[in-house]
Amino acid sequence: MSAPPVGSGQATWADVNRDVDRTLLNAGNTYFAWMTVIALILACGVAAWGWQIATGLGVAGIRTPQMWALYITNFVFWIGIGHAGTLISAILYLFRAKWRTSIYRGAEAMTVFAVMTAGLFPLIHVGRMWFAYWLLPYPNQRYLWPNFKSPLIWDVFAISTYLTISVVFFIVGLVPDIAAIRDRSTGLKRKIYAVCALGWEGSDWQWRHYRRAYGLLAALATPLVLSVHSVVSFDFAMALVPGWHSSLFAPFFVDGAIFSGFAMVLILIIPMRAVFGWHAYITDRHLDAMAKLTLVTSLVLTYFYLCEAGTAWYSGEHYERASLFARAFKSYKYTFWLQYICNSLIPLVLFWRKARTNLVILYVVSIFVLIGMWLERFNIIVPGLGYDFYPYTWGVYLPRVVDSTITVASFAWFFLLFLGFIRVMPSLSIVEVKEVLPHPLKHSAHGGHH
Amino acid sequence: MSGMDRRSFFKVVATTGAAAAAGGCGPSAGQLLPYVVPPDNIVPGIPAYFSTVCRECPSGCGLIAKNRDGRVIKLEGNPDNPINTGALCIRGHAGLQGLYHPDRFRGALAGGKPIAWEEAEKQLADRVGALAKAKQAGRIAIVSGLETGSLGRLMDEWVRVVGARPRLSYEPLAYEGLRAANRVAFGRDSIPDYAIGDASYLVSFGADFLETWLSPVAYTSDFSRMHAFYQGRTGTFVHVEPRLSLTGANADEWVRNAPGTEGQLALAMLKVILDDGLQAGGGELATLRAAARSADVEAAASASGVPAETIRRVARDLARSRAGLVIAGGMAGSGSSSTDMLVAVNLLNTAIGAVGSRIRFGSGSAFGKASPYSDMVALTQAMAGGQIDALILVDVNPVYSMPAKSGFVDALGKVPLMVAMAGRSSETTVRAGLVLPTLHPLESWGDYSPQDGVIGLMQPTMGPVQIEGKPVQAKNPGDTLLSVGRQALGFEEGKGPLRWPTFRDFLTEEWQKIARDHGSTEPFTDFWEGALRRGGVWRAPQSAAVALRPEAGRISGAAPKLEGEGSHVLLVYPSSRFYDGRGADRAWLQEAPDPMTQVTWDSWVEIPSETATRMGVSRGDLVTVKSPHGSIELPAYPTDLIHPGAVAVAMGQGHKLPGAYASGQPAPAASNPQPSTFLNVGANPVDLLGAAPDPASGGLPHLAVKVSLTPTGRRRALAIPQATFDQDERELAQYVALGSARELELRGRPPADASKPSMYPSVKYAEYKWGMTVDVDRCTGCSACVVACQSENNVPVVGREQAAYGRIQHWLRLERWQEGPAAQPLNMFMPMFCQHCEVAPCEPVCPVYAAYHTREGLNGQVYNRCVGTRYCGNACPYHVRRFNWFNYTWAAPLDQQLNPDVTVREAGVMEKCTMCLQRIIAAKTQAREDRRAVKDGDMQTACQQTCPTRAITFGNLKDAGGETSKLSLSPRGYHALAEIGTQSSVTYLKKVVRAEPGGSGHPAGGGHRG
Repeated sequence: MSAPPVGSGQATWADVNRDVDRTLLNAGNTYFAWMTVIALILACGVAAWGWQIATGLGVAGIRTPQMWALYITNFVFWIGIGHAGTLISAILYLFRAKWRTSIYRGAEAMTVFAVMTAGLFPLIHVGRMWFAYWLLPYPNQRYLWPNFKSPLIWDVFAISTYLTISVVFFIVGLVPDIAAIRDRSTGLKRKIYAVCALGWEGSDWQWRHYRRAYGLLAALATPLVLSVHSVVSFDFAMALVPGWHSSLFAPFFVDGAIFSGFAMVLILIIPMRAVFGWHAYITDRHLDAMAKLTLVTSLVLTYFYLCEAGTAWYSGEHYERASLFARAFKSYKYTFWLQYICNSLIPLVLFWRKARTNLVILYVVSIFVLIGMWLERFNIIVPGLGYDFYPYTWGVYLPRVVDSTITVASFAWFFLLFLGFIRVMPSLSIVEVKEVLPHPLKHSAHGGHH
Repeated sequence: MSGMDRRSFFKVVATTGAAAAAGGCGPSAGQLLPYVVPPDNIVPGIPAYFSTVCRECPSGCGLIAKNRDGRVIKLEGNPDNPINTGALCIRGHAGLQGLYHPDRFRGALAGGKPIAWEEAEKQLADRVGALAKAKQAGRIAIVSGLETGSLGRLMDEWVRVVGARPRLSYEPLAYEGLRAANRVAFGRDSIPDYAIGDASYLVSFGADFLETWLSPVAYTSDFSRMHAFYQGRTGTFVHVEPRLSLTGANADEWVRNAPGTEGQLALAMLKVILDDGLQAGGGELATLRAAARSADVEAAASASGVPAETIRRVARDLARSRAGLVIAGGMAGSGSSSTDMLVAVNLLNTAIGAVGSRIRFGSGSAFGKASPYSDMVALTQAMAGGQIDALILVDVNPVYSMPAKSGFVDALGKVPLMVAMAGRSSETTVRAGLVLPTLHPLESWGDYSPQDGVIGLMQPTMGPVQIEGKPVQAKNPGDTLLSVGRQALGFEEGKGPLRWPTFRDFLTEEWQKIARDHGSTEPFTDFWEGALRRGGVWRAPQSAAVALRPEAGRISGAAPKLEGEGSHVLLVYPSSRFYDGRGADRAWLQEAPDPMTQVTWDSWVEIPSETATRMGVSRGDLVTVKSPHGSIELPAYPTDLIHPGAVAVAMGQGHKLPGAYASGQPAPAASNPQPSTFLNVGANPVDLLGAAPDPASGGLPHLAVKVSLTPTGRRRALAIPQATFDQDERELAQYVALGSARELELRGRPPADASKPSMYPSVKYAEYKWGMTVDVDRCTGCSACVVACQSENNVPVVGREQAAYGRIQHWLRLERWQEGPAAQPLNMFMPMFCQHCEVAPCEPVCPVYAAYHTREGLNGQVYNRCVGTRYCGNACPYHVRRFNWFNYTWAAPLDQQLNPDVTVREAGVMEKCTMCLQRIIAAKTQAREDRRAVKDGDMQTACQQTCPTRAITFGNLKDAGGETSKLSLSPRGYHALAEIGTQSSVTYLKKVVRAEPGGSGHPAGGGHRG
């Protein structure tokens, strides 16, 4: 299939404005119905968290030796989701992969919200969340500093940096688009958008600075794509636990993160395209490209899986071998094998070109990838801790109502943010889509003044 | 330094400040100092120590109670006491929970309703007086526990004066068989002292002397003297029992016999010794020959399932050791043929020359003075026959401990007035017309003689416990009886035959006699104070000469009669944690895992694996166990460690208590999902037994019924914290063959391979580097350390559900590891606690330095700083860190036991073993005041202090001459999981085994000691 090189030839600049603006119109009842459902789920999660704070972490299923379980699984999962957004917006930007234009805004929003979701989990996870600020290196009378040797402190820095850069990058990218929306709005809305547009006028001077800032931020964000999940992986790799203590973990985690992020992008943009009628901007070619990247990351991940098993096997280390064996054949065998089916086998469908553009297949594959990637983190953490050095404590962790509810509610939190965003902000980059529209069509533009 | 220094100033400020703050906010702290004017020996903040006697079982170990600000917070063994020499068992520690039990009576009760004390006494006195006046005093019966001291004599005096029936000393486990056998064999109605420590070859026929038999702390300590590897020498221990008990698990060889064949085996061994001419000299050969005449090694082998070769080998090794000792007892010693069996053991001991040397009749056990079970049966019949008008039960619970078939409960219905004198509610007290609460032994004056020549003196170690701000209204039973007796007979205080104003006066008078007996020349007050300080008076053990009587030759090795048509023989055995059941209402004991099965909070039926497979039941499936006398329902525990023809159930559970705490109601703090303290779970196997006493001994036959098993199809999963007994080749607990151990000893330390080198420079310590050693060869798994630690360090109890889910908070866990074939494993017991690693995986991962390395080599844990990321818990390869999943509470008044020197941890923080940091600090403070450094032996950790086998040592590793430093360089030393490179400060010493587990045949001959 050979699609046109950019967006889609049929759209005009005016179409872009119209199509994006349309997403900001008053939403229908369906939208609010969904938002209500999501808000209710979120409320359950908040209540569960409140209950947990009031009584203690015992209400979640955590135990000795699985002192970490669902919360850290979710944390790593959501951090991972964030990576695809930055990859698409920053790395592909630097590589001038023009097909990214129509999906990057959604992906970037996903990144910011995923990191915001992930950032909650360390708070939910710790025993005394009211003292979580002690992990920050703030000046205090007692000269107490955090322990810079602890991977958790590295996490604090990595995540906060990542959140800062992605938020700034996201906002910078939004400014010209907000200005475009501002110009088409009236009344109070116009005033609000005017504030958000930071006085953007589209002058040449502004554009020059904008481009430089954008490029610089893209360059800043790029190493973070690799570093953040590497640091997250150090939480595991730096501990002695068999199945954790491996130099493989950094690239392994980064690849897995990008893999799951692509799946999440697909899950988000396929319905957006259908609902907003953005077939002209998000074409089959985009989906095909995304699917190919998903396939590649899946294959790389499979390679890492083989490495992981191979390392455990050939190390001759009894603990490593026993840990692998326990994960594969003991209490958690179903989650273990399901992970491989989801992450290594099912994505192979994407070798088939028709599957890459078939929305249903793509969507189903993406869902399986998300399940698989969540299970991957689960399988590292829960069975890994469950069958480590000391046989006395071996055993099975079972999620309870509280931790399960909070897990589900984290999705509600994410979707609440995301669905809220697409109704108030342009979720398709007006500026960048226009940039890649074929030149001759510019003359038929009416409304645009860029 | 004069006047008030800075430190004292802060102390005063803190105390008054706390008192002022207590009224201001939060729940009231209640009365912080129970004394308005503190007695001279109570200094706030400084503990006072009182010696007394442990009354948790008839062993009568010496206790030292640590009193802090008017409350006893810790019990420790009395090092001077000849019985326990400083050690204390798991039940002894839990005595504190009896003292502070929430179910303690607040005052007198009549028909379950509170009543004024004087009124209650008057009711009893009126009844006694009326009966005495009517010359019907014989219709008054009094039953107490085994009281061998002044209280017993006072009660007997009371009985004499009033004219009541002779008092019964009821002990559910009274070892009547041993006494009967000694009557038959030696003409002595007593239970001698067994000098296990002096033996080099010990054979036990079912005597669980490391758990409950006679005097377990003394024998455990003796056993380590006899058996622990020391300077290349070690003794040999062979245990004969159908199931592998904790005692059997410590044996060099466990001989699994068919239930009831011990007598045959003993006679067969006797025959082998006589046939081989290995008997010790003496004129009793004819009697021995007569007894052995009917014995047949092959027949014994086929009946018992023990290979004839084993019988011959053990018999020969025993005789050739020249310092052999055979003991017998346990529940094998209470069947219908048990007297014959125990006589056979006496003969065997005579044949090997143990009687008079290692068996000392001059130092008889207190058990020799207990009333046989048959007396209780007679009393029950008298009650049922309407011959008893008033029954006084002093600190006994026969409603629980008598078999259901005995009809005791029904007979109680025929007694117009039953008076219970007891500290806490029990099955018996709820049926009592009158309850006259007794003080806990720790609050009472008294004395107790656990063995001839040893008299322990008891003194109040604190005032009566305060519940809801009021001291419990209770009296020493002696005082109650004196008062009731006087009122009944119409005398004023200090007049009449019961002339002593208080029991204390009676006690003093008795002790004046004791002073004379002991030839004391000093003034009585000095003698008395010395006894109070020392905890009693004692003489060296005596050995009385005994001669074998010809009657002993007329015994048979017949198997006991078993009632019922069931498929399996029922083995009922006393629990090492609950004894006969009196400990079951202590949450500490319920939560301490049974050392063999690691079960907490429940009882279970041990079923042979083959049977379980055939029945299709697995662990936790509820099974109905039915005998001709009753049936109980218990979760199955399939095991390879029991004879295929037997099932076993421990005593002690299955209480039917009405108390607020004991009935399983959640503890008062409603928001706290914690203590779901279901104390009355499980079942009482005594209900399966018949009630008829064994005619030969008068005891209750425990090996008496066959039972059938039926799966119910329901489940009750057992709460077992230990996931597996298989170490999976991780060598956590290690062993070494005896020959290699000797060789290592000669060669000294092997090349340093204990821990891998680290990339970091090794830490330098200025003064102290604390470390411990744990000798796996000495550890018997008794679990006293588990509860000692819990008591010292304010470790909460979490309840059954949490325990089952890996949330037990114990800082020290007692692991059992099995090596070799499943049916004949090598068992190793290993206390596991924080290893205080030099290169600790938990330290670098903590983001806030809550886990950090102290300058004295400890892994510190700052509770205040802990945020609760639990990273350290994951990083610790030993999983000895404990997270506070909830705010754990102590149901009042159990909270009064808390150690003020140890923080009570709040929800959300990590905790773990601190090597008793508070004791280290106290020792350092003391040393600083003495202007010196802490020296070896200045302090002991709680686990070390209580250990009967001295398996644990603690000390400064920088002190090269210290015991711990020396032991940590032992050739048997190793670090658990050393290859990870944690360089732990705890050195374990390998167990010394006679043969590789599962290796060829019999153990290589054990070396002799001495």
